Amino acid sequence: MNAKSLIKRNYEKHPEIDFPDYKSSIFRAPKNRKISFPSSNTETIGPIFNKNIIGKLDNDLTLNFSKNKISPLGHKIIVYGTVSDQFTNPIKGALIEIWQANAAGKYLHDNDENPAPIDPNFAGCGRCLTSSSGYYEFLTIQPGPYPYPNRGIEWRPMHIHFSIFGKSFGQRLITQMYFEGDPLIKLCPMVNSIRNEKAKNSLIGVLDTSKSNTKNLLAYKFDIVLRGIKQTYFENRKEGL
Amino acid sequence: METIKAKLDETPFQTAGPFLHIGCMPNAIKINKIYQNDLGEIPFKDKQENELITIEGSVFDGNGVALDDVMIETWQCDEKGQFNEDSGFARLIPNNITKKFTLKTIKPGSYKGFDRKTYSPHVSLSISARGLNMTLNTRVYFEDDELKNDPLLSIISLDNVNSLIAKKIKKNSYLFDIFLQGDKETIFLDI
Ligand SMILES: [Fe+2]
Repeated sequence: MNAKSLIKRNYEKHPEIDFPDYKSSIFRAPKNRKISFPSSNTETIGPIFNKNIIGKLDNDLTLNFSKNKISPLGHKIIVYGTVSDQFTNPIKGALIEIWQANAAGKYLHDNDENPAPIDPNFAGCGRCLTSSSGYYEFLTIQPGPYPYPNRGIEWRPMHIHFSIFGKSFGQRLITQMYFEGDPLIKLCPMVNSIRNEKAKNSLIGVLDTSKSNTKNLLAYKFDIVLRGIKQTYFENRKEGL
Repeated sequence: METIKAKLDETPFQTAGPFLHIGCMPNAIKINKIYQNDLGEIPFKDKQENELITIEGSVFDGNGVALDDVMIETWQCDEKGQFNEDSGFARLIPNNITKKFTLKTIKPGSYKGFDRKTYSPHVSLSISARGLNMTLNTRVYFEDDELKNDPLLSIISLDNVNSLIAKKIKKNSYLFDIFLQGDKETIFLDI
């Protein structure tokens, strides 16, 4: 039988939880140190998701909410990349769910108070499972930046929210992808809650113009790395032997 | 024996923000056209009502206000202590009036881990919301189980351990409130 264990998280490469520049964290971020404990079966076995949950247009945000095939406003982009673990093994069947604002920077959500128009042909919701090589791809439109109340009104850089399930609950990741060259990235307190520059930069989707001729589309490449799972073989011995 | 070294850094977290429902539970906010069902609506299929337990509670911020924009994901083994990769997962959001989340599931069994230690029955939680730069992890244990030999609970000091134990309020029904801050701050895990 294979014993599985997750390698420990390196919190220096993650955002600070208690980060007052991001105002919402002030009354929500826990103050105590986390209790560190080795992962067990709970964190290393599942969940994984079946491909029969995925609909044909789930990864095409330009069509999955459009009426009469009318395109949403904004320019179309492809967002693609691979999901692998920290040992560079591609993860097949990882579930990626994304959500984003429309081209005007507005979410299709009752709690969004940004006075920008909704787009009747765009929900900003998509998902897919990675292929055997860990590859994923979404067709969507470029999300707009948007204002939000923080220390006064501040602006979020253009971004897409990502939720990823790999092979186990302990690999669970929720993050955001930013867009290469966006001047708002360096002003964003949520980005800056990550102190490590290299880690920060790893959230920036890299512009890829190689698809611009064939498909008339700009593409952004965003590779995702989930925690590594070590497997060690052990014999099923009886207690005390 | 840690002989293999990681070659890559894990991708950093960012907050799920206030609009996570669009991507994770669109049907819950009336975006009904896209996915037939929201993920994690039912953790175990084909179970009778009388086989189920209920775990309910709220997630409180430092002002004692119950959050209504939080998402709680739960993961557990079956009643025999077996993890089945395709069942045992649920996603919950609080009711917008009561501000309580409700998990209807089967009571997990205890299991013998890869470390050959016996773990008391528990449900694993992952908590995401605006204001949380990283998802928080914790576990729910049950007060009517044998808990004193659980490998995790036994390393936590007695005053704190209660934050991981659901109280039985009636038959098959448990209360588990989560406190993000304050005197009763829940224990969160680096696991
Ligand atoms: Fe956002």
